[in-house]
This record gives sequence, structure tokens and C-alpha cells, in this order.
Amino acid sequence: MVFDEEFDVIVIGGGHAGCEAASAAARLGATTAMVTLNLDLIGQMSCNPAIGGIAKGHLVREIDALGGIMGRVADRTGIQFRLLNRSRGPAVQSPRAQADRALYRTEMRSTLEHTTNLHLRQGMVVDLLVEKATVVGVAMQDGRRIGAPAVVIAAGTFLNGLVHTGRRTYTAGRAGEPASIELAEALKRLGFPVGRLKTGTPPRLDGRTIDWDAFEPQEADERPVPFSFSTEKIEQPQIKCYVGYTTKDLHATIRRNLHESPLYSGQIKGVGPRYCPSIEDKVVKFADKERHQLFLEPEGHHTHEVYLNGFSTSLPAAMQQDLVRMIPGLEEAKIIRPGYAIEYDYVDPRELGADLQCRRITGLFHAGQVNGTTGYEEAACQGLLAGINAAALAKRKPSFRLRREESYIGVLVDDLIRQGVDEPYRIFTSRAEYRLALRHDNADERLRRYGRRLGLVDDSDWERFNRRRDRITSAKQALRTTRLRKCDAAYLAVSETIKSDLGHSVSLEDLARRPGVTADMVERLLPANIAGTIATSDLEAALADNLYAGYIRAQEVVIQRLNHHDATRIPADLNFKTLQGLSHEMVERLERSRPRTFGEARSIPGLTAAALSTLYVAANLHG
Amino acid sequence: MDTIVAVATPPGRSGIGVIRLSGPQSLDIIRALSYEPEFTPEPNRVFLKQILRESGQPLDTVLISYFAGPHSFTGEDVVEISCHGSPVILRQLLDLTQNLGARLAGPGEFTLRACKNGKMNLSQAEAIRDLINAQTDAAAVQAARQLNGELSNALKSSKQQLIQIIVRLESALEFVEDDLPQIHAEKIKATLSEVMGSINALTSTYATGHLLRDGIKSAIVGRPNVGKSSLFNKLLRLDRAIVTDIAGTTRDSITETISLQGVPISLTDTAGIRVAGDRIEEIGVERTHRAMADADLLIVVIDGSVGPSPEDLAVLSQTKPARQIVAINKCDLPRASGLENRLDHSLRVVHLSALTGEGLENLSTAILDAFGNVDSESVGLLITDSRHHDLLRRAETSLLQSMETLSDGASEELVLVGLHNALRFLGEITGETTTDDILAEIFNTFCIGK
Repeated sequence: MVFDEEFDVIVIGGGHAGCEAASAAARLGATTAMVTLNLDLIGQMSCNPAIGGIAKGHLVREIDALGGIMGRVADRTGIQFRLLNRSRGPAVQSPRAQADRALYRTEMRSTLEHTTNLHLRQGMVVDLLVEKATVVGVAMQDGRRIGAPAVVIAAGTFLNGLVHTGRRTYTAGRAGEPASIELAEALKRLGFPVGRLKTGTPPRLDGRTIDWDAFEPQEADERPVPFSFSTEKIEQPQIKCYVGYTTKDLHATIRRNLHESPLYSGQIKGVGPRYCPSIEDKVVKFADKERHQLFLEPEGHHTHEVYLNGFSTSLPAAMQQDLVRMIPGLEEAKIIRPGYAIEYDYVDPRELGADLQCRRITGLFHAGQVNGTTGYEEAACQGLLAGINAAALAKRKPSFRLRREESYIGVLVDDLIRQGVDEPYRIFTSRAEYRLALRHDNADERLRRYGRRLGLVDDSDWERFNRRRDRITSAKQALRTTRLRKCDAAYLAVSETIKSDLGHSVSLEDLARRPGVTADMVERLLPANIAGTIATSDLEAALADNLYAGYIRAQEVVIQRLNHHDATRIPADLNFKTLQGLSHEMVERLERSRPRTFGEARSIPGLTAAALSTLYVAANLHG
Repeated sequence: MDTIVAVATPPGRSGIGVIRLSGPQSLDIIRALSYEPEFTPEPNRVFLKQILRESGQPLDTVLISYFAGPHSFTGEDVVEISCHGSPVILRQLLDLTQNLGARLAGPGEFTLRACKNGKMNLSQAEAIRDLINAQTDAAAVQAARQLNGELSNALKSSKQQLIQIIVRLESALEFVEDDLPQIHAEKIKATLSEVMGSINALTSTYATGHLLRDGIKSAIVGRPNVGKSSLFNKLLRLDRAIVTDIAGTTRDSITETISLQGVPISLTDTAGIRVAGDRIEEIGVERTHRAMADADLLIVVIDGSVGPSPEDLAVLSQTKPARQIVAINKCDLPRASGLENRLDHSLRVVHLSALTGEGLENLSTAILDAFGNVDSESVGLLITDSRHHDLLRRAETSLLQSMETLSDGASEELVLVGLHNALRFLGEITGETTTDDILAEIFNTFCIGK
């Protein structure tokens, strides 16, 4: 086949997954083309102008630890940083930042343009070129053909995208941008199982028409915690966000007009996420709630556009304007862009291996919304993994996988490829059995070395990582060896503060585990020579390790105990159809997921205990 | 797949013994055994055949049943050979079939093949095991109840409450920015206490439950000629042991099982304890000491017309008072004076006559009372399985840890560790709860959606 241009890797899509994939592949030495419909919208945040959140923040830090770019860009463009769950344990704390939407885009594009081996190309991909079940390139709308042995599809919500506002529908990948129809059809032609999902977005308001005094301000953190392990400090000025509420009248008006809502009128076929429901959903499902919370999120220092978080809707545009005016403080507000719902195609992620490569077609990788996930962070981490593996394939290097015991990325990918999705998949801390071990502040300890080995972590970052780990180690050492004794000046004060008897002497390690003991208290008890060499965040990391160690061990024992059959291998050639007592549906699920061990089979949803027994017996008898 | 063989009937002598073959060579083997290479039995019918030894001498005349796979117990071709129940004949048959290519089956292998061929699932296999092992009607009923999911139902409401607590705590830390109602620690503690209470109630039935399944082992001991064997026979309501007037006549230990209100009680009659006169008696006495050591309960028989001797008192003092019953026999004869005073007041004492049957009811009651009023008919579901008991105990421990962590005011993710562990343990008993269930509950309960 003749190509107009040839590369090692082609990334289709310039969203969060596409950017990570392209950046990683290029930095790993693969000549990479990122093909996108609009170069000016690289790195566009389609919905909420924010990065991070509970569990999502963890993903961003893991991406950064591995050498990805989302964290750095977020640090440079974040305008309100908050560490969520500050009052709770470190394992469930997670960073979040509102970002300047426009600035995020330009920073992301600039980052990509400064990456060697990375070539940006504007255009629409209309077909995948495949020979003997191996990808060889892509065909463009303008007639060009671009060749590559590895292609990453990161098309976001663009595959057969359909926007709904009230009864009006039109094809689009995002409001104002064309949908990717031929590529969606190409995937179907190749035999991929394709489903339909939906998501929505709220209206944006003109900030000059808002009565800001009617809202409760929400401040940024005094000491913003950066996403990237390479960022020393957040320099840019921070803004406030604002909290408001809907009213009963508003709810009643919505209920009266539900027939105008595409979701309720049956117009939309796709399945939406349960956890970011439209205002219509909220009002119907939780009818007795008197008011629903809303957030006003300014989109940047240099724009008056404001994002109305919590008011996702696909009601008619004119009606949205009336409804918004029923919110206290927004009586004069003008909508700049109406909210809308969008339906799009996704491909069953059970088609993929742990490297995100399609089983059906060698060299083809899927990352992001196309796999049924929702969220920028969820997309970005898949993009990173796909980009690494696309480059590995092109360069004939071994593929890279992450395990669920060591990262949220591992949890996400494992969930996707084994269970598939019934609704848009969003990450939660409760999805990780090993939640206590997967903290946002130990992502570097868990993953930096992989990034280094792959070649995505440069010398200065690696140095910085090693110094941090050394400091944390010496902090832990200090906690172990320093004791607070009855004769010490601080003893009485400490014991009174936490209202507990400390005995003759207590190590700081043990003291730190007592309820009521804060990091500050411990810091003050450290010997001066140590306290001077470590940062507060180092001590906090050491304390967190200390706090959770016992729980992690105990949990480990339980999980291993219950999973002692999990290692039993399932023969690769086992024909599930021959197993007695399995319903057609269960055979189908098993064939889809192709579990290699009994443990993997156990996590396939819908597999009954009886079916598992039969499978277990078969696995044992074959082995 | 090879062909396996095993003796299907219990060891010992009886009228009939059964050998079972399962596998592709079953028919060929029987043809060879009966010297009839053309033998083509119709399935599910019985045929009379003569089996010869290798020397050509007749071994036995047997009945052969052939079950063609998959319509057999294991799903393979099965042949059952019913011969005379002589251990010698059975042994010979086993050897012959093995020489012809069969392999001695491992424990449970027939059932395993049945499972593999889809003839039954594992829980049904467990049920068969329990049913076979059930020694009393009540134990069999419990086995059946367990299989019918009664245990799962009993735990369902506790699991639900536990999930609700988990949902509450998970929501708090997962959706910190959403407008959720306040957590009331006291309310959570109260619900947690309730859950712990229910599980504990179930766990504590194990003491009774496992007795029901495994039975009480008791030994009847005492000096020679106090009437142990008579009592034994009376309890059995049939003549089993040899009863004579000569002291030390019961040379062996004899064990039989009876059912008292559904609880299997194994009774071991023992040789009279005295300094042994001859070799045979010595062996009998040694067996007696072993039976005593193994027993859950000792029934110490004393001749009421003569009173306790130093040896009787020695026997009583050697073992724990709680697990003893003193049966003062021969109450049909005049009682020796000062009898009661020579016995420890904490002992359970029953007056009876093995001859007339008087007082036997009291003995039955005393036996059961010794284990805490075991009355299997009136009680509900009992935990009989030690695996279930172990899992329930671990669940309880995990919940206790969570309760302590909660009281310490620790952050939710620490409290949740114990709760999730408990849920996992309960899940092992009844069926998994996955993360998805919890997430679904969260979204049904709270309006989430920033």
C-alpha cells in the first residue's frame, strides 16, 4: 500500500487520551502523528473545567508519576486548587483544581509542539486500513493515506455523536464540532461490538449578569497541593468558586416539562451515568429533596464565562434560560451556551488486552471514552497506557501493564477489560480493594520506577524522586527511634491534649497512631536535626504509611485467604460451551472476558456461584 | 479418562457387598471377569453371573447392574457388582478388576466425576456427604435446611444492614462535595451493634449445631459388675453385649449410637476397671481407658446397693465433673446408706435400675443437659459446619475492630476496612457482594452529581 506519510504511531483524537498517547509515544522514540479534527481545540475540556476530584486526582498523580503530562499542564493552568477530604484519612484525600479552560488548551498544545518526534495533523480519519487482521494505517477525509503499524483510537464522544437540546438533534462530536461518522462505521465493519452511551453538560453563563453576593464563596486551599511531582509550588493567583441552590418552584417547573427532555421522551437511546445525572434526573429521582446544590465555576481570569456545575440538562435552550432565572442570585443571568446531552458510540472494552490493544486487530489500540469511560482523567490514563504500548509495538519492545494492586490505573483497566461496561465508567476509591495502599501522595513510590524504566522520566525528575524517598525514609526512621518520655517537657501537654495515658515512654510511631494526634504535633516532637531536613509533606507521607500499615496487612491476609483459589489457571483452550450447567449467557460472558485464572473469572459479573463451581472443577481436572 | 473401581459398601461383613466401576472400560472388565466377551447387558437391568478366580476356581456368584453413560451416577459407563459381603471376596474382586485395567478410586472420586460431568454441582455433593453422614433424622433435616438456603436467608438482613452502613460511609468520603445529610456516628454504632448481635446469635448456635452433626461421644465406665452392660443394653433396647455374672466379662469396648431427641449419642460399653487378671482382660482395660479419653461424656455407673468404692471415686476424680453423670444402678435393691454424702455435690446424679428400666428417662435428660439443653426440635437454624462457624467468627472479629475504630473517631476509610472484611467473610458463606452492588445502593440512596 502506498502512503502519503508514514509514522510509527498514529493517534486519532486530540483530547485528553489522545494528548497523553501522542506525547508518550513520541517521547519513547516512536515517530508519532496526532490527527485531530481541529488543532485549536487540542486538550479541550468538554464539560467541567476542572481536573481531579476524589479518585480522579489519584489518577492524575499516577499519570504524572509514570511520566505523563496532564498533571504538569493542570499545575500551570489551575486557578482554584483544593485538596478534597482534608478532614479524613490520607488514603481518601485527593487533589482537584479548576482550570482556565482556554489556557489549558494552549498549554497542552504548546507542550505537544515542543515534543520531539511528535507531528500534529489536522483532518478527519474516515477509515482504518487493515491487512490480515493487522492495522497498517488510516485513510483521511481529504484523500490522504497515513501509514503506521500502531494506531490509537482516542475519539472521545465523536463516534456517531448526536447532540440533543430539547427536541432538536444534530450530529456533532461536541457542540459546534462535526461528528466522526465514517470512522464509527469502519469500526462496526471490522466486527467490533458497539454500544451507545450518553452524557450531558450544563449551560454556561455570562458572569457579568450574576449576583455574586447571593452565593456562598468557596476558597482555594491556602497551601495548594500540586498534581505533578515535578512542581515545587503553585504560583498563579487563585480564584473563588460559589455555592448556590435550586428551588422547589424550579423543580416543579422541570417536572411539568419533562416531555420536552430528550431522555424522558425516549428520544435518547444511550445509557447515561448514574452519578452525574442531569437536573431532570435529580428532580425526578429525588423528588422530596427541597433543593439541589449548584456550583458557579469561573472559567478563567480573562473571561466572564461561568460554568454552572450541577445543572446538566438537555431541556430546550429557551426553557433553560427561564429555569436558570429561577435560581436565587441568577434572576438576571444570561446563558452564553445552552446545556445539552450527547449520545455516542463506544466499543466493548472486553475486546482489549491489558495493554489496551484490540485482540481482533493487531496494532490497534483503544483509549478513553471509546472504551465506555467518562472523565478526562479516566481517558488520560488510558491514553498514556495505549501510547506506551503503541510505541512498544512499533519498536518491538515488550508491552507494559499495570496491576490493580499497585494503581488505580490498574483497577480501571482491569475492570474495563474483564467486566465491560453497562454505563459510563467513572473511577471511585471503592473500586480499589487496596484503597489504603493507593494514596495520591505515594503514586511516585508505586510508579516512578516504571516511568523511569520506560524512559518517560528524565534525570532531574528521577533525582527529585530519589531525594523525596530518602527524606521520607529518614522521617520514618525518626518516627521509629524517637521516643517521647515521661521526663520530656512536651509529654504532659501531649498526653493532656489527646486525653490518654502514654505510659513510661512511647515511640513517635506508636504515638502517631493514637486518635487525636496530628501531624503538627508529631513534627514538633521530632529532633531538630531531622525536622530541618524534611518537608511537612514528607512527614505526612511517612505518617500515612505508618497509620495504614497494620490495616493493609490485615486486609491483605483476608483477601489472600478468600482468594486462595484465585491462582488456579484456566486452560486457554478450555471450551466453555462444554461445561455442563452453564447458561448461554454465562458462556457468553466467559468467552468475552477469556479469564486466565479462576480469580479473574470470579470477578466477572453475573457469573453464579454454581457456574463458578463448575468452572473450578473443570479448571482443576484439566490441569 | 481411566476406569476407576472401589468398594461401595462399608467395611465389614454383611449379606451383600457392592463394588462399583466407572469409566470407559467398565463393560470390558465385567466381560473379562465373567468370561463372556460377548456380554451386552441392557442398561438398568440386573444379571446373574459367576465370577472365577484367576486359577479358574469359582469366586462368587454375583449380580451385575450396568448403567450406560450419561445415564448413570457419574455420567460415565458404570457397572455395579453385588457379591456376598465377605471382605475376602471383595478384596479379590478389587484385585481382579485392577489386573484388568481399573484403578483404585481416590476418596470422593466418583462424586468428583459426577460433578465434572454435570450430574451434580458442588453444593449437592456436599449435601450428599452430609446426608450420608447424618446419624439422626434431625441432623439430616438440618443438612437439608442448609441446602435450601436457610442460612443465606438468616444472614440476608444482617448483610443488608451492613451494606447500608458501608454505603453511608463510602458516600461520605467518595462524594464529599455533594450535599449529603450528616452522618450520625451514634446511629451507625447502633446499627453496627445490631448486626453484631444477629451474627453472634447465629454463631452461638454452633455449640449445639455441631453436636447435632457430629454427635456426643459417651462412655459407660465403672467397676466390674455394677451393671454397665445391662444399662448399655437397656439404652439400646436390644441385647448387644454379653451379660454374665462374672466380673470382667465384657472384654471389648462396644460402641453403638442412639438418638436422644435428635442428637446422636454414641455409647461405648467398657470393660470393668479393676486390676487386670489375665492378658485378655488387660487389653480390654486398655481400650477402656482410651474410650474414656475420647469421650465427651462419662457415665459412671455405681452399684447403689453397695455404694461407691475407692476405685469409683478415683474414676470420678480423674475426669472433669461437668462431663460426668453418676448413674446409681440397681435402685430396685435396697440402697446403701450414706451413698449421696460420699459423692461430690456438684455431680449430676441419677438413680436408676437397668433391670427394671426405672429412672432411664432421667438419664436421657441428664445426658442432654450436660451439653446445655440441646433440644434440636424447638430451635431454629443451627450452624453445624465448622467452616461456616469459622467465617462467622471472623466476621464478628472484623466488625468488632470497626466498632472500636469508629469509637476512636478515626476516619471513615479505616472503619470501612473491618466492614468490608466482614462482608467478604459473609460473602464466602452465602454468595458474593461486589463493589457494583454497593455503588448501586449509593446512587439509589443519595442524589449524587456534581
